[in-house]
Amino acid sequence: MIEFLKYIRGYLRIRVSGFSPERFMNLCSNKGILLWQIVREGDVYYMNINLKSFRALQPIVRKTGTKVAILERYGLPFFLPKLLKRKVFVAGLLLAVFFWMWSSLFIWNIEVSGNYRITDDMFQSFLKGNNVIVGMKRKELDIENLEKEIRRSFPEVTWASARLSGTSLLIDIKENDAPIITEQEKEETGKDLVSPHGGTVVSIVVRSGVPLVAAGDTVEAGDTLVEGRVPVYNDDATVREYIYVDADADIILEHTRDFNASLPLDYIKKEYTGREKTRFYLRLGEHQWKIPEERPFLVYDSVIRESRPLVFEKLSIPVYKGSCTYREYMNVEYKYSKEEAEEQLKEKLITFLASLEEKGVQIIEKDVKIELSGKSWVITGQFLVREPVGDSVATQKIIIGETENQ
Amino acid sequence: MKKRDNKNKNIGQKKESLVESLKLPKDICMGAMKVTMTGSREAWIENYRGILEYTEKLILLQGKTCQVCFEGTCLSIDYYTNEDMKISGCIACVRYI
Repeated sequence: MIEFLKYIRGYLRIRVSGFSPERFMNLCSNKGILLWQIVREGDVYYMNINLKSFRALQPIVRKTGTKVAILERYGLPFFLPKLLKRKVFVAGLLLAVFFWMWSSLFIWNIEVSGNYRITDDMFQSFLKGNNVIVGMKRKELDIENLEKEIRRSFPEVTWASARLSGTSLLIDIKENDAPIITEQEKEETGKDLVSPHGGTVVSIVVRSGVPLVAAGDTVEAGDTLVEGRVPVYNDDATVREYIYVDADADIILEHTRDFNASLPLDYIKKEYTGREKTRFYLRLGEHQWKIPEERPFLVYDSVIRESRPLVFEKLSIPVYKGSCTYREYMNVEYKYSKEEAEEQLKEKLITFLASLEEKGVQIIEKDVKIELSGKSWVITGQFLVREPVGDSVATQKIIIGETENQ
Repeated sequence: MKKRDNKNKNIGQKKESLVESLKLPKDICMGAMKVTMTGSREAWIENYRGILEYTEKLILLQGKTCQVCFEGTCLSIDYYTNEDMKISGCIACVRYI
């Protein structure tokens, strides 16, 4: 710090020679003049002295009869006039400072953290929709409003915080881990369980409602299995009233399920010719510059690789460099051989079986065939399955008075 | 002559005991030089009057009551003001004359 102050005020390296340099030094210290880096070489003394103090040196020099010579000049008072002569440099410096101050009025980087289910793209488009974009003025940003808008637009966000750190806008959000409970409309109670397929009931365990079938019964599709209308009887075994409940039961139904899938005989496959062209481009925010060119190939796809140089990332400047590789390909028609078709169809079958297993369906028997039918391969399968069933359907209401009248 | 010397000594002793009893700083009241040394490479000196001699091997300082001589090699004065000064170099010996 002291060195810096000395530099700002300017100092000189002087050579003192003559009859009694010690006396010169003593007089200097008596007058409150600071001397430093005093070195003796032979009969000559070298020392540093303040620029301001040097001007007060004249009487001392005269008194002691010493000779003082300036060797070097240091500090801003000597450097500045030299600098000011270089007008273009000074103008550039001022311009740079001005640009730096002006550019700090804008937002150059937006970082979002804490989002897992909401993707970055979703958030970016939301921000764009709210006019929060890279390159906007800091003054125009209403942080409180933005936070409110985030919470309103994404109900799964439980907490949102936005803050400005330099020229970066940092948005932290917290998503709700627990599933969102949407308020269900209160429905009228009274629900039956209906069989969606025709088959044989294997087992039935009723928790609420009146069972209409028993294990071993055969049912048709659409038959009511458990009724949600529970009768309350009088002493004389007549129905006094009905209580309506949501029927709830575990019913296992044995029935046959069909599976059909087909595969066209021929298909089109992309085959790369191996010819590739790479073009580099530069992107600043939304603007992109690249070498203009005509259509590289007749049929092609492209792979874009983009990265931001570390310097720009650290300085939060949205400058990206990237390359676009065009790969030529041809659409070639192929025909499935029997083995290939079988493999593809079996895969479809396996995914179907996996989906059944997920639902808790037990397979008792299966019969699968693969054959060529017209212009496609067809797989047909019949499965004897045991499946938990029961679709909820509103119970038909009966008013006691009416039934009595009937 | 001897009488006067004795008288001076007596005054000096009396002054010292007075300063000690009042717990005043000795370097100011007695006009003693204050030398602070860090190892043998650096020395800070306060309360002096001036430099009498300065070479690479010897620095002689004038105090209020005595002279102090720093002997060594490569001696140089880092800074020199009215209040204090710093000597650096390889100090071999400090003598009070």
